[in-house]
Amino acid sequence: MEKQVLRFKVNGDEYEVFIHPKTLLAEVIRDHLGLTGTKRGCETVSCGACTVNVNGFSVKSCSVLAIQCQDMEVTTVEGLEQHGKLSPIQRSFLDHGSYQCGFCTPGMLMSATAFLNEAKNPTKDQIKESIEGNICRCTGYNSIVRAIEAVTQGKYKEE
Amino acid sequence: MINDFHYLKPASVKEALAMYAEHDDCKVICGGQSLLIVMRQGMVAPEYLLDIKGLKELNYIRFDEKDGLRIGATTTHREIEKSDVIGKRYPVLVAMEEKLASIQTRNWGTIGGNLAHADPAGDPGPVLIALKAEIKFGSSNGEKTVPLDEFFVDYFETQMEHGDLVLEVHIPTPAPKFGCAYQKFNLLDSEMGIVAAAASVTLNADGTCADARVVLGNAGPTPLRVTKIEDLLKGKKLDDKLFAEAGKIASEEAQPVADIHASEEHRRHVLGVLTKRMLKKAFEQAQKA
Amino acid sequence: MSHAKYSVINTHVHNIDGVAKVTGRATYTFDVKLPGMLHGKILRSPHPHAKIINIDTTRAMDLPGVKIVVTGKDTLGIKQGIWRRYEELCDEQVLPLEKVRYIGEPVAAVAAITEEIAEAALDLIDVEYEVLPAVYEPLEAIKKEAPTIHEGVERNVNVTRHIEWGDVDEAFEEADYIREDWFKCSGQAHMCMETRAAVSNFTPEGKLTCWASTQSAYYTQGLLAGVLGLREGDVRVLAPYVGGGFGGKFELDAAMFCSAVMSMKLFKPVKVVFTREEDFIASKRRTPMFYYVRTGVKKDGTFCARESRMFSNGGAYTGMGATALYLSGFFHSFPYKWRGYRYDGYRVYTNTLPSTSMRGFGAPQAMFCSEQQIDWICADLGLDPFEVRRKNGHTEGYEVPGQAFIASCGLEQCINEIEKWVKSKGKLPANRGIGISSCGFMSGGIFNWFDSPYSFSSAVVTINVDGTVELHVGCQDIGQGSNTTMAIIAAETLGVKVEDIRVHSGDTAHCPADLGAWGSRQTLMAGNAVKMACEDAKKQLLEFAYAEMGINIVYDLDIKDRWVHIVARPERGMKYEDLVKKALRAKDGQRIMGRGYYTPHRKGMISPAYSYMMQAVDAEIDPETGRIKIHEVMTAHDCGQPINQLGLIGQLEGAASMALGYAYLEDMPMEDGKLMNPNLVDYKVIRAPEMPEAGIIEIDTYEPEGPYGAKEAGEGLTNPTAAALGNAVYHAMGIQMKELPITPERILKALREKKEQEAQK
Repeated sequence: MEKQVLRFKVNGDEYEVFIHPKTLLAEVIRDHLGLTGTKRGCETVSCGACTVNVNGFSVKSCSVLAIQCQDMEVTTVEGLEQHGKLSPIQRSFLDHGSYQCGFCTPGMLMSATAFLNEAKNPTKDQIKESIEGNICRCTGYNSIVRAIEAVTQGKYKEE
Repeated sequence: MINDFHYLKPASVKEALAMYAEHDDCKVICGGQSLLIVMRQGMVAPEYLLDIKGLKELNYIRFDEKDGLRIGATTTHREIEKSDVIGKRYPVLVAMEEKLASIQTRNWGTIGGNLAHADPAGDPGPVLIALKAEIKFGSSNGEKTVPLDEFFVDYFETQMEHGDLVLEVHIPTPAPKFGCAYQKFNLLDSEMGIVAAAASVTLNADGTCADARVVLGNAGPTPLRVTKIEDLLKGKKLDDKLFAEAGKIASEEAQPVADIHASEEHRRHVLGVLTKRMLKKAFEQAQKA
Repeated sequence: MSHAKYSVINTHVHNIDGVAKVTGRATYTFDVKLPGMLHGKILRSPHPHAKIINIDTTRAMDLPGVKIVVTGKDTLGIKQGIWRRYEELCDEQVLPLEKVRYIGEPVAAVAAITEEIAEAALDLIDVEYEVLPAVYEPLEAIKKEAPTIHEGVERNVNVTRHIEWGDVDEAFEEADYIREDWFKCSGQAHMCMETRAAVSNFTPEGKLTCWASTQSAYYTQGLLAGVLGLREGDVRVLAPYVGGGFGGKFELDAAMFCSAVMSMKLFKPVKVVFTREEDFIASKRRTPMFYYVRTGVKKDGTFCARESRMFSNGGAYTGMGATALYLSGFFHSFPYKWRGYRYDGYRVYTNTLPSTSMRGFGAPQAMFCSEQQIDWICADLGLDPFEVRRKNGHTEGYEVPGQAFIASCGLEQCINEIEKWVKSKGKLPANRGIGISSCGFMSGGIFNWFDSPYSFSSAVVTINVDGTVELHVGCQDIGQGSNTTMAIIAAETLGVKVEDIRVHSGDTAHCPADLGAWGSRQTLMAGNAVKMACEDAKKQLLEFAYAEMGINIVYDLDIKDRWVHIVARPERGMKYEDLVKKALRAKDGQRIMGRGYYTPHRKGMISPAYSYMMQAVDAEIDPETGRIKIHEVMTAHDCGQPINQLGLIGQLEGAASMALGYAYLEDMPMEDGKLMNPNLVDYKVIRAPEMPEAGIIEIDTYEPEGPYGAKEAGEGLTNPTAAALGNAVYHAMGIQMKELPITPERILKALREKKEQEAQK
């Protein structure tokens, strides 16, 4: 019940927060750090709106105790862009209209980002599976799959 | 909302076991992919939470031709899925992992946590039993290794007692002519099976069945090993007729519970179909091996 | 029509909210945080039907951190409803005073310094109920002996709707073949990614500001003012980014109401966000319907008459359900010409969560019944389903007697295209089939049950000194991209670029009133208002340009791509930015401002224009398990002139995913009024691996009433899918699916019955 200090990096910056150990990673990100890009859409670890990357791996931040991220590096949607320059997957989402209401988009982008970091020439089915933990109620996913595919095909190489 | 708890973070297995022994109202968290959901619903509200996620000692995948495969309890599902040696020697495990929940869950959730949770609808249980796995668990009083099918005793209950941690899963090296297949029946690709079936077949040099296993998922309080089918198949030359008969036995032996997703009747029926199909698939693999 | 003449319309334009959405900058009501903000939680009824005897809030109030607990007694007790023109249909007290009518109905609300304390306080509110007998199904609730859910409402019949044209009985007599079937259509959750959420802030000036996840800021403003006893003008509603709506977010909800009531008592901001479970059990749903359909045709497939009766499960309150009742019956006739048509719809109250509008607005249910029955009739008579649909389909210039005039219609081309596509697939393997379904949909309703004295849509455009444009609209972007659509129409009309336009929406204090995002109304209605406003502004600019350029008045002037020029001699002209600057000086510094509005007149009973489509679903069924695999969906679609290319594809694919979910995955089963799957584990929403390719064939038409010839696109695309999948199953397996969703178990049951019937023969 005693609060504990969590030291970790978020989007490259070192943070120190004083939290109850029961605090979820999603709560620290949104409520303590004010990074509201990360959304929440369920209580059953189903929707994926809260997806962030921990040490490069995608996780649902509502299913992770923040304290378990001690000394780790977390990336949220706010960390994808560098000095106003959007990441390849962000640009591809724009070109392919891969969002509508946008509420699932941050989580979708984080799943896609983690997948793109490790995938080499993935098949369409693998791309679909890479976002199966994320629900989108608007787009029907196909535009998101096209956006990820375009990045894997090298269409958004960093200059 | 999650109830408050004291957080215990051991640095070693030894320390973890000591802490666990010391605190009565204590739950173990590893990846927490199942635990946190029930804690959020207030269904589980321990005074102490023992976090073993960081125990590197238990994070390993080791393969030895003689000894077989050993997977440490804190190994994540994703590490199993991505392991080259597992992909080569136990492809059914990789195939199972690829359909286990979502990537996010597999990235954080662990094999030990999954087995300790003992959800009869869990994917690893049936497959590992079909692979003749055993599980090692232990407390500050010592370790114990049991066949995995004996490990599960009831819904969300295992042989483990307070103070016990899952330590390792051990899978023997497959026989030369061996095949194993798993499929779950569900509406969405990534969700838990409404029902599931794993089957393995070992063939003799003459092509007759040396050994077979059928394990049903979500067909009772634990993963259900159908020994009647094993008895039926052993020593015989396998064919579609036998697979169909095995399916019929699986339907009869299963103890599924109806819910909104399927009636008991439908579950029994599908278990029969899956059993038939998985046996055939395992048989064909064994033939080709 | 040639698309080439447009410089912005139907080109590849990024959504104007895109960067905000892909960078996490877009803030939703869910994200709103104000200084001193309190967190509210709602206590909900565990009973489907019960009298509230007493509510004791003392223990909850004593919990440290709790600031207020309110019940119905702390409100004005006004019965509200969105059909505000009809008092008897305003039947819902958001915090009821006397009784609860469904499980999950709000009973009390708490505001506390943290969400956790507010939630803990809910357990400390003691409610004494007297449990009453309850009824859950419309066909039970309509019986004489059923319990009364609303006093004075006989047999629990909430609304009835009769639609009739032609001599139906005579038309049936002409029929060579009559077929009748019963169908059962399930409910569906809107399942917006952002659950219902509101932040209310009432200040000592007597003014309320409410951030709300709403499809119409104006409706929310009007409804809130009504129940709180405030003037509309003293209520400001802000709808920032909205995380989906789909028809479920334009009534007053408990998040808006409870946060406002508590804020008014505390003079502090209060935030209420529904959990996913609350969103499932208490935020309304697609209307479940029982349909009886009787259809008479001639031997050659000519449609004679149809007579249908529909009983819908209205749940506990009216809401938008009355509109769904009418539209379901109207679109049940679509898109065909009937000599005689009769529909009797009954919306019946039950002790379940209220049902309401949802994407398609009663039409997906109606089409599921109609389009399957047509295929079965074709099979019964040995007719070609394409040919029969072509023969009886709407055509340009057709009048649905007394209901609607069809000014543009590409149905026949849609049928031709899909027929070609289906035939190109050749012979399919066993257990695989392609089903088709055609339909149409409205482009906004000609209904004013809200009794708005404002135009249906309005827009104000202001041109800044540098030529940039401020466009104020009342239409609401809920993710469907209406802000982008309006920016495209404005840019096209003014002759500037999309990036020159800043769209202001979702704020009742700054934007003109508009009925909001429902019934596919925004592209046509708000689009017309925007076009009119921009034409008004442009006219003022061009008037000055004639003088400035000193040209002969017989020439036509226009602006395109920021170039003001003589239409016949495009090289002669001036820069748009220069013109704006000069025009400002010429007008004594007054800004160029244009106003536009749209209210439909003389357009029949339903809508000013109708989209048409035919869809094919290619599906494979595992004959042993009944599991369905959808291979592909193809749609030929007449939405008039497409405005927003990317948006249109997104609407089509999104509609297909939602409608496929309705067809074979999504269901809201209840036991004794309790929803059995109020979470995303048990409620199945289609995910990426299940989603098939969903192609589109655009059929070129021009709708004279629409802006640049545009009409509905997006909502109507939800209508054909369940029927098309049903027909695919029929053609693959020879079984008739009369109940939604089409589950593996239902498929196996139908296969067993078929086998038994064949054995009997």
